[in-house]
Amino acid sequence: MDEGQIIIKAIALLAAGLAMGLGAIGPGIGEGFAAGKACESLGRRPDEANLITRTMLIGQAVSETTGIYALVIALILIFVV
Amino acid sequence: MTSYLIVKLCSVLGAGLAIGLGAIGSAVGEGFIAMKALQALGRQPKASGPLLRTMLIGQAVTETAAIFALVIALVLLFQTPDASVSWIKGVTFIAAGIAIGFGTIGSGLGAGLPGGAACEGIGKNPKNTDVLSLHMLIAQAVTQTATIFSLTVSLILIMSTPEPTLTAAFALLGAGCAIGFGAIGPGIGDGLVAYNANRAVAKNPKHMALLTRTMLIGQAVTETTDIYAMVVSLMLIFVV
Repeated sequence: MDEGQIIIKAIALLAAGLAMGLGAIGPGIGEGFAAGKACESLGRRPDEANLITRTMLIGQAVSETTGIYALVIALILIFVV
Repeated sequence: MTSYLIVKLCSVLGAGLAIGLGAIGSAVGEGFIAMKALQALGRQPKASGPLLRTMLIGQAVTETAAIFALVIALVLLFQTPDASVSWIKGVTFIAAGIAIGFGTIGSGLGAGLPGGAACEGIGKNPKNTDVLSLHMLIAQAVTQTATIFSLTVSLILIMSTPEPTLTAAFALLGAGCAIGFGAIGPGIGDGLVAYNANRAVAKNPKHMALLTRTMLIGQAVTETTDIYAMVVSLMLIFVV
């Protein structure tokens, strides 16, 4: 590898860390919101536990997607670039 | 400049980052608990005993995140590298400081939220003190996982002795950023789940078992992004 390629590789590794690190902030808070409100409505309607848990998991899965995008980009930056 | 001097400078900088950033979350979280306790005290002055107890227990658990940061800061301050040390060791110290410094912000804030909710609930009905403080402790324990991941990664970074190349230096900094920033969101998210669950327990204490179960499922899913961040940072340390 010449010097330019080494620098690109090095910066790509730092970028992978930043991508995953900053990318994990949003999904973490978003999923917390979903589960928090699910607990709140469960406290009000305990009979609907199954429905509420199912909907909570679907909502969390959707807000997880951006975290998975960040993971994919981080892995590409580590192994492909 | 000798590489010994560089490593020593980096260890001091890393210690500053660790405790400076690491104190933010716990301090705000503890303030939130105290605020809710004072509000509750205004409503129920007779419940001052249980309120003070719950506030102090909650604040003590919230403090753990900052104590982890303090431990790492002290470990970094008392590093005595030998004369033949490589400059890359300094990069590991800065990365460790970033990892634990940013990594404690989320857990500190997150552990404060259920503590505040428990004090609020006791203010509404002091009879629920036992149920609420038990629920608060379970919830706070889970919120600390984000910090524990950061602590693990930063200890690994401090112990590691990689090859002194440019690529390794940036990979280590990337590892610190990944787990450091990555732990902020899940920490706050876990706290939000716990906050709402604790308020629901206060309204309906007899459904404590169901609510705790759902809260743990929700927190486990919230934790996944933190696990991705840890996997990426371990990959950056060991694979690259």
